[in-house]
Amino acid sequence: MIFVIGSNTTEAHPIVSYYIKRAVKKGAILIVNDPRKIDLTQWATMHVQHKVGTDIAYINGLMNEIFKNGWEDKEYLRDHTENPDEIRKWVEDYPVEKASEICGVPVETMKKVAKILGEAKVASVCYTLGITEHICGTDNVKTLANLQMVLGNIGTYAGGLNPLRGQNNVQGACDMGALPNVYHNYQAVDNPAIKEKFEKAWGVTGLPTKPGYKMPTMMRKALDGGTKILYCIGDNTIQTEPNITHSIKEIEALEFFVCVDIFPTITTAYADVILPDCSWGEVDGTFTNTERRVQRIRKVIDPPGDARPHWWVLQELAKRINGYDLGFASSEGVWEDMRKTATSCAGITYERLEHVGLQWPCPTLEHPGTPLLHTSGNFTRGKGLFHHTDNISPAEMPDETYPFLLSTGRRLWHYHTATQTRNSIGLEKLFPEELMEISPLDAQKLGIKSGDLVKATSRRGEINLKAWVTDRSAPGVCWCSFHFVEACANWLTIDRFDPVSETAEYKVCAIKIEKIADGKEPVSLIRRQARP
Amino acid sequence: MDNMELEKIFSVAIEREIEAHEFYLAVSNKVINSDVKRVFKELAQEEMGHMELLTRFKNDPSMVMKIEMPQKDYKIAEATDLPKFDIAMKPADAIALAMKKEQESVKFYRGMAAISKDAKVKSQFEYLAGMELGHKQRLENVFVEIGYPEVF
Repeated sequence: MIFVIGSNTTEAHPIVSYYIKRAVKKGAILIVNDPRKIDLTQWATMHVQHKVGTDIAYINGLMNEIFKNGWEDKEYLRDHTENPDEIRKWVEDYPVEKASEICGVPVETMKKVAKILGEAKVASVCYTLGITEHICGTDNVKTLANLQMVLGNIGTYAGGLNPLRGQNNVQGACDMGALPNVYHNYQAVDNPAIKEKFEKAWGVTGLPTKPGYKMPTMMRKALDGGTKILYCIGDNTIQTEPNITHSIKEIEALEFFVCVDIFPTITTAYADVILPDCSWGEVDGTFTNTERRVQRIRKVIDPPGDARPHWWVLQELAKRINGYDLGFASSEGVWEDMRKTATSCAGITYERLEHVGLQWPCPTLEHPGTPLLHTSGNFTRGKGLFHHTDNISPAEMPDETYPFLLSTGRRLWHYHTATQTRNSIGLEKLFPEELMEISPLDAQKLGIKSGDLVKATSRRGEINLKAWVTDRSAPGVCWCSFHFVEACANWLTIDRFDPVSETAEYKVCAIKIEKIADGKEPVSLIRRQARP
Repeated sequence: MDNMELEKIFSVAIEREIEAHEFYLAVSNKVINSDVKRVFKELAQEEMGHMELLTRFKNDPSMVMKIEMPQKDYKIAEATDLPKFDIAMKPADAIALAMKKEQESVKFYRGMAAISKDAKVKSQFEYLAGMELGHKQRLENVFVEIGYPEVF
């Protein structure tokens, strides 16, 4: 049984969606919970179309029904959780009738979903940015963790709480310490013993004792002089962050801005220095995927011109800034440093990665890697702890002036800000421009048909793009992606963030839609472009 | 090998289990974290079970030790530093401490096997080493699952 929530898996994670579809073909029950009628719903046993930003009410309502019918895993709750009585009490505030009013899912549907989940031998929960890109993203994840612990679905094959990572190596980047508060494999910057360990390993002194800023804080601090220099590697910051107009002001306030990228972007246009970058086919290294599997990537062609691998560029900078030699001769040297300083990866060598990947923790050369965690029912803290979560309304909801809710995301044909994919002739031809998805009911009211040019306006900006009239979105909800800078959703999105993760609420803001001109192309062409 | 010698071997092994039982019981009374307390109590209980098993072998020389020897040793205890005992220690450190103790026991029995000239004595010590290796491996598996949290 697979429970997908807040994930347009087919378009954002096509490989994972292939496995999900294969499981369905073999008889798995698939419940897709998404405010939009995404492609995966065609494969689903049930599509639950809850309202955007009501995940906590929906899931708490399901848990209420699960407890009410005695479908919880009593043994797991007793042996492996710390406060099972508390979660039972907390979700009493969400009887399905009340939860249904908040999330818009009919009571009978909620009862049916709870029954399927409660009676399933094991259920796997997959989620992604539809859960995290809210001001309550952290609480959304905690609520799903509560659900899986109530059902005893942690540490079991085909169970678990599975965040599908947004990019192919986001796991690897985090593992490598590309975060403001940890070194390799999540070793805390503010732990004196760890600081000492890294100073010894690297032969340096004076490593930071305090965590750095997360990205939104880093950007905000540019305006008050707290951030003076920004060194941006392979990130189209301006197009990616919410409220582009404000992001530009923040970037302009920097004293010095360096971009490292493979193609020009709106962000590189603001850079004082642009360093050429290598693409994935031009470097050796590793990618670590969403299941903690470290895999080798290999250089197949030489990079163009003066482009160099990141590790080389950073090493040269270190030499020129303060004469420090990192001592790397290859990407393998960087990985060896990881092995020395992060015991969870100590058993993973390039030689062992030659044929297949290895999943960390893999602490010794003898160890085969760890595909599943928490199989013994133990957690790092001891027993699992339930967290109290309550429904939190999005920061900006539609009103009379801005009557539509805009939600945003990704399309199958393009990757992130399309820095690479818009430079691919085939992909550009398949999906050459952004479309605003509008429900048939709303389109009728506004006199809009597919292909018409519309203007979408929020309190922060406006974009012009063609309309795609489709029942993928519910009435009152519009949707577009952030792939195309000239019609990027982030000209409209709101710069409000989850207080813990500082992830922006990309999934909800209020907009208005106006028709600008009649479409000139046949509607069939728009439909052909739009469908994944 | 006569029965007296066999008894001696088991007496040594039983003594080690008693010592471990008492250690885990003592630390379980000192630590603050209720989960660490539980882990140590469970370990103390397990050592008691091992002691009882070994006592049965000691008292009945006709019993044959049939221990399923672990196929592989992942050597995680060997690659882990011995954590200092601290009343505020975390569950992973408690497990690390226990697996290091099992590592010591494996080393002890292997050492005894190595210096034993009698084939049967050697074999008994090898069995005991195998038993401790099994305990070490079980603790290592738990450690791997909780010792490397992805927290940021």
